[in-house]
Amino acid sequence: MGDWFTKLSSMINMAFIEGDRWQLYIKGLGVTLEIAFFAAILGVIIGTALALMKLTKRPNGKEGFLSRIAQIYIDVIRGTPSVLQLLIMWFIVMSNTKNGVLVASLTFGINSGAYVAEIVRAGILAVDHGQEEAGRSLGLSKAQTMRYIVLPQAAKNVLPPIGNEFITLLKETAIVGYVSLTDLTRCANQIVSRTYEAFMPLIGAAVIYFVVIKIMTHLLGILERRLRRSDRR
Amino acid sequence: MIDVKNLVKTFEDGKTILKGISYHVEKGDKIVIVGPSGSGKSTFLRCLNLLNQPTSGEIWFDGKMINDPKTDINKIREHMGMVFQNFNLFNNLTVMDNITLAPVKLGIMKPDEAKEKALSLLARVNLTEKADVYPISLSGGQKQRIAIVRSLAMNPKMMLFDEPTSALDPEMVGEVLDVMKELAEDGMTMVVVTHEMGFAREVASKVLFMDDGLIVEENNPQDFFNNPQNPRLKDFLSKVL
Repeated sequence: MGDWFTKLSSMINMAFIEGDRWQLYIKGLGVTLEIAFFAAILGVIIGTALALMKLTKRPNGKEGFLSRIAQIYIDVIRGTPSVLQLLIMWFIVMSNTKNGVLVASLTFGINSGAYVAEIVRAGILAVDHGQEEAGRSLGLSKAQTMRYIVLPQAAKNVLPPIGNEFITLLKETAIVGYVSLTDLTRCANQIVSRTYEAFMPLIGAAVIYFVVIKIMTHLLGILERRLRRSDRR
Repeated sequence: MIDVKNLVKTFEDGKTILKGISYHVEKGDKIVIVGPSGSGKSTFLRCLNLLNQPTSGEIWFDGKMINDPKTDINKIREHMGMVFQNFNLFNNLTVMDNITLAPVKLGIMKPDEAKEKALSLLARVNLTEKADVYPISLSGGQKQRIAIVRSLAMNPKMMLFDEPTSALDPEMVGEVLDVMKELAEDGMTMVVVTHEMGFAREVASKVLFMDDGLIVEENNPQDFFNNPQNPRLKDFLSKVL
């Protein structure tokens, strides 16, 4: 029993305390959060723009030019692995940049935008068409109707799947080690190779991801309840 | 006020719903359109403010051809209120914001002005106490009265009603029709698609009977109901009266 306890405390000591290693996890988490945060914002902006582009129609009701551009974007991004996209951005498109966090944020933002586009489009289509007709019948323009009436209602619809996307995005940043960024996952991995002890660093990193996502889920829940105010009798 | 010339509407599925309608609405007219479902009466009404785009023909409003691509339809719609079968109140906004959104965002009124106007209109339909609630907490009749108020807040020159009582529980039909009757008495120009024959008889200046994409009979309410000419109208009235 005593033996087991000694072993455990030495493992914890090695993984987190020795040489102030806990600071490395915090630094790694910082990188992870930074990339995920900027990517999420960029993803929502790109995704909303793509969704609006995809919903444009020519006067004859057929698919328009903007709609096709958006579809090509979505097809290309969804049709290739994100690791590959990251490598292409790092080694080819932005090879002159030393700022890995910037490259990763852009890559994941561009990637996430393709998925957010379909989420937002579904959210807009789920708003009753009568809402738009009522707005237009009052003399509001298409853009005004979209902004004041349709999008606020769509936002409510998309919150659960968008939350899903944010969670996926946060975890997907674990591949940035490929371009030598030290995020939470890579930091854990480095500590493993330094201490020859895998259990504590890896499980520790997993617990940190889990806690962060749990907090995110909670915050999204609060936001959703606030947006649903108008649904309560 | 409105001049419709040879209006044809063919939908994308190839069905022709309006087969060449010509009609003239004078200022102050209360036109009630009745007819069997599928006769094109709602499509006709929705063409008047271009919610449905005519396939051919002309619609003139106040001297402007509104289905001319060069006409700014948003400007025209500011002057034509529309009330829908399913109310279509904005679910994300309170009653007050529903009413003031368009006048304020279109720069027609200042927020204070719009609010004042909204309150006086709400008082007219006895719903002042509902100003700050969301549409979901309202009954159908209340929703429709507020939808009418929302249109009136724009000071429209005329109002279009697309089966305004068809989605209501029977006991709420009266409260909505009462508001419409008051409007009519105030001299509002109205075009109403409805199945409420009592309303047509009482309020209409002209009743139109549409069937199969055409206006097949037009008359004052007395003669329309007591002395119908067209055999299809006779058949229709025998079923609904």
